[in-house]
Amino acid sequence: MLQTAAILALILPLLGFVFHVAAGGFVYRRTVETVACAAILASLIAACLALAAGWGGASSVTLFSWFRAGDFAASFDLLLDPLSLIMAVLVGFISLLVHCYSVPFMRGDPGYVRYYGYLNLFVFFMLAVALADNLVFLFLGWEGMGLCSYALIGHWFHSKERISAARKAFLVTRTGDVAFLIGVALLFAQGVDPSVSGIQAEAGSLPGWTAVLLGLLLLWAAAGKSAQFPLLIWLPDAMAGPTPVSALIHAATMVASGVYLLARLFPVLALSPAVLLCIGAVGTLTALWGAASALAQRDIKRVLAWSTLSQVGFMMLAIGAGDPAASMFHLIVHAFFKSLLFLAAGCLIQALDEEHDIFAMGAKLRHRLPHVFWPFFLGVLALAAVPPFAGFWSKGRVLSAVLAQPGAGYAALALAASAAALLTSLYSFRLLLLAFFGRPARTDAPSPESVPLSTAWVLWPLALLCIGAGALDLPGHLGASNWLTGFLASAPGVPPGPDTVSETLITLLDTGLALAGLLLALLAYGPAERFFPRVPEGARFWNLMARGFGLEEASTRFIARPYRSVATLLWLRMEEGVLDRTTSGAAALLSRASSGVRLWTTGRLSTYLLMLLAGLTLILLVAAGIWS
Amino acid sequence: MIVPLEHVLVLALAVFLLGAGCALLRRNLIMILLGVEIMLNASGIALVGASLAWRDLHGQAFVLFIMGVAAAEVAVGLALVVYAHRRTGRLEADHFNKLRE
Amino acid sequence: MNAFPMLTVLILLPLAGSVAAMAFARYPVACRILSLGLTLTQLVYLLAVVPLAGMPGTVVLREDLAWIPSLGARYSLAMDGISYLLVLVASFLGILAVLVSWREIRSRIAAHHASLLLVQATAIGIFLARDLLLFALFWELQLVPIFFLIAIWGHEARRSAAFKFFLFSIAGGLLMLLAVIGLYVSHGLATGSYTFALADLLASPASPFLQGWLFAGFLLGFAVKTPIIPLHIWLPDAHTQAPTAGSLILAGVLLKTGSYGLLRFGLPLFPHAAAQAAPLLIVLGLAALIYGAWVCFAQTDAKRLVAYSSIGHMGLILLGLAVWEEISLQGSVLQMVNHALTTGALFVMVGMLYERIGSRDLNDLGGLWQRIPVFSSFFLLFCLAAAGLPGLNNFVGELLILVGSFEQHPAAACIGFAGAVLILGYILRLVQATLFGPGEAREDLADITPREAAIVAPLAGAVLFIGLVPSPVLNLLRGPVKALLAQWGG
Repeated sequence: MLQTAAILALILPLLGFVFHVAAGGFVYRRTVETVACAAILASLIAACLALAAGWGGASSVTLFSWFRAGDFAASFDLLLDPLSLIMAVLVGFISLLVHCYSVPFMRGDPGYVRYYGYLNLFVFFMLAVALADNLVFLFLGWEGMGLCSYALIGHWFHSKERISAARKAFLVTRTGDVAFLIGVALLFAQGVDPSVSGIQAEAGSLPGWTAVLLGLLLLWAAAGKSAQFPLLIWLPDAMAGPTPVSALIHAATMVASGVYLLARLFPVLALSPAVLLCIGAVGTLTALWGAASALAQRDIKRVLAWSTLSQVGFMMLAIGAGDPAASMFHLIVHAFFKSLLFLAAGCLIQALDEEHDIFAMGAKLRHRLPHVFWPFFLGVLALAAVPPFAGFWSKGRVLSAVLAQPGAGYAALALAASAAALLTSLYSFRLLLLAFFGRPARTDAPSPESVPLSTAWVLWPLALLCIGAGALDLPGHLGASNWLTGFLASAPGVPPGPDTVSETLITLLDTGLALAGLLLALLAYGPAERFFPRVPEGARFWNLMARGFGLEEASTRFIARPYRSVATLLWLRMEEGVLDRTTSGAAALLSRASSGVRLWTTGRLSTYLLMLLAGLTLILLVAAGIWS
Repeated sequence: MIVPLEHVLVLALAVFLLGAGCALLRRNLIMILLGVEIMLNASGIALVGASLAWRDLHGQAFVLFIMGVAAAEVAVGLALVVYAHRRTGRLEADHFNKLRE
Repeated sequence: MNAFPMLTVLILLPLAGSVAAMAFARYPVACRILSLGLTLTQLVYLLAVVPLAGMPGTVVLREDLAWIPSLGARYSLAMDGISYLLVLVASFLGILAVLVSWREIRSRIAAHHASLLLVQATAIGIFLARDLLLFALFWELQLVPIFFLIAIWGHEARRSAAFKFFLFSIAGGLLMLLAVIGLYVSHGLATGSYTFALADLLASPASPFLQGWLFAGFLLGFAVKTPIIPLHIWLPDAHTQAPTAGSLILAGVLLKTGSYGLLRFGLPLFPHAAAQAAPLLIVLGLAALIYGAWVCFAQTDAKRLVAYSSIGHMGLILLGLAVWEEISLQGSVLQMVNHALTTGALFVMVGMLYERIGSRDLNDLGGLWQRIPVFSSFFLLFCLAAAGLPGLNNFVGELLILVGSFEQHPAAACIGFAGAVLILGYILRLVQATLFGPGEAREDLADITPREAAIVAPLAGAVLFIGLVPSPVLNLLRGPVKALLAQWGG
């Protein structure tokens, strides 16, 4: 029962893709959309059934054996434990909402077959990553997600900027994927079965340096997919894709998959405290980097993009603090509020005719589009971690996990993470105030019908979850159960959470940070802004922040452009120049030698007779010499 | 034998060189043929001397053959020269250089 | 020994066809149909009849007849799993080559098909021969039809490209022939029996010094064909200037003869020299991978881009061979097949684009997806396969090569893995320049015709099949690779 349900959950989106490829061009548009949504709905139902059937236990199932050579084997294996099943349900749920949202959102787009096909295919690959046991199979899903992301970011492929953004995304994530494969090869060379269950069973047998190396490789791989420092340059530009794609792939699922990978393979990471500290540092750095850059953005989607990678940084920090359950809690909650924010932003953008600049939005939107404003508001409250909304509990868990770790390193990380939390609250309220309370408001305000109910209804389930999802893992000191931590602890490889360390203090701290951010935002952008120093929104430093502190330009200047120049150089100078000229030179040399020899053929009889005589004399002398 | 073999060979060599000189240094086709004839006769002298020195008649038989072949070759050669002169009116060897590349 | 010469039929069939095709000079359509029928028969024979004599992966089919007894040369053929696989690929590509030439070749059609069939015959001879003299004969013979294919039916700069190819190959072949004769003589002097047979020469007790020189001769001969940089100079021009069928055969069959020669003859015959040369070969393989991918990125001619990508892929195959380990050898042979399919498919599709648009320049192409979507989907599939996307064929071979090399040469394997990023770089450049982007207004581009679908669909099917279910192919290789390793443990 469990196994059948899990297999169905995995395969149904793939069947949807196959349908779209084979028959998409021949059926009505409605049929294509219905099949796409139905496949995901069925997959979600199957995933829920699997979760219910396999409650708390772990089992594995093999779909089929893929290939083996020598001792190395890859097969389509699934490992069904609480962690993977919860992830599968989450993916199915968010995907379903995004699919339903896409139907009215992408009305009128002629490339709909491609869109729904790739979207379904993406869900298949993401579920493969969630459920896979064998690491090569996981890599299939991993790279497949990269492909679907490329195809969907570049969905409107007539525009050169969009396809460049797609190309950048694919290339940067692939840089991370290289480390994944090296990790697989390393595991195999050490005699460990390259699969999640193999790692859970034999991680302890790895020698110290191998564990460190493997941990760092996995960190690099996760950093690529999750847009962590230094591989973060692709995510803001990935907003060139349609908004539902941004919501699904670049907020809730693919960017979180790096964190999920680390949580799944946590037994290896747990072997070396240095690696954990490293992961925490990368996460914190990204959290700060992203939060600061989000503060300076004007495009609503880019604010959310930088915010995403900042929040994923928090998830990484939780893993670095040794608490993968906290990281998963934040992952789930983040999926809810971030996709909510993206989908709401999509409604705004469409209502305002492709306007992305938050400075061009304003208070009229709040009055005209209340069915978008209120969910958005709830999402912002969750993002900023205002109690008692969901984000407050999950971020609190992360911070308490960090504070529970001894050592100066973790203390520094906790400090930095608190600063990032303050910035998070600040930029989220800035976003809210500028988009919905700003002055001057747009003169042309949209009518409520421009965001029909068919588009906006998906916002409400997510908004309700933003309010209530905190119940998944309410902390013990408030008398509640830490349910999610306990549930995940039954999964092999995810250790139980740390003991509660002065949690009341942390609760107060978190509340303080969130409210401080709200206050600062109100001061800077709220109704009383003219009484306070102006925010330097045009200053050079501000612009640098908006460009992500120049990381993008650095990578273009030091990696992309030199690569292109060297490529041209190698081609023109080396290939055409040196090598080709060497061969033509050799040919020319031979040709000149032969024209030199050609001088002998004068055509004159006297020359020939002379040479005949000379040659004969020589031969006879040599023969006489030999015979004597 | 009335003279040592070496003297005969020197005579043959001298005649040969004279014939070679004639063949190489003259431009006229007929003179080249003359030179070839002289070289053939020189080889005949060497063969006769060797035959007498070693008391073997094969050498002298060889000389008779050479004379016959030389006659035939001269006939053919002169026929070609006559034909070439009829075609071009010239008899210099350097004039016929079309076999060059 | 078999009573019915199963293996000779594989060589004789295309050879006879080549001769017969010349008789149809006045009837081009009949000539085409004859060639198509013949190549199809060859494939059917290979798939249906040959396994009746013994399953290819497990049983080795042999033929052994006296040829030149005074020299010790025998007409000796053998087909194990590796040879079977490569002959299968050659036969399959032969069919596709005939189909590809259907519209492209308009003049001297009989001679063209005769050349194609002769290439197939000689290539199969190379893959089956187990006598060194016979091998060298087929090796040299192969150059002639390919030279004509490029020189007569090629593109603008075909003469110089054909000559460059010919001279490089002849030079390499000459060195290899000298090495063959050297081995023959040294073996004869040492043991008293003068023979060209591979099985006997494998146990030849040559001195290490001599082994080094002989190995160098073989290596240079194979290095030109594989190609190993820096002897790859002939390849871009030859591939670019050849007609589409010629490029298909060049990439799919000819390059494999070089790496096959290394696998079957070069490395096993000289174990000590090969072990000493292994680091050099690994470095050259990686250099080819990186250099090929890097230069690829700067190309503006689509066909030249695919040609340089060939150099990169063959570099990876060379790495797998040089490491001489079970997993990486299986990966290498599998990758030979994969490369033939993927790169062959890319050449075919670029050729189809050239037929439609008249240009290979990337700046002239663009925005094809909206005009010819079916064509573009196939093109994207093959490009993704070349980029090593999991689920498609190249990934399996590459992964096996690199995982197999990791234990002995971790640094080399890491560089090999990193090459994937560079490969993706130029693949995305190719995809973007042809399929995406604004594109010029071009009204009348025909989407894929049935004949073209008949060429491309089997290739796509093979790509997907090997990517998802590579076990049948790997089963063919398991036994022969173990046998090769047993000859010399590496």
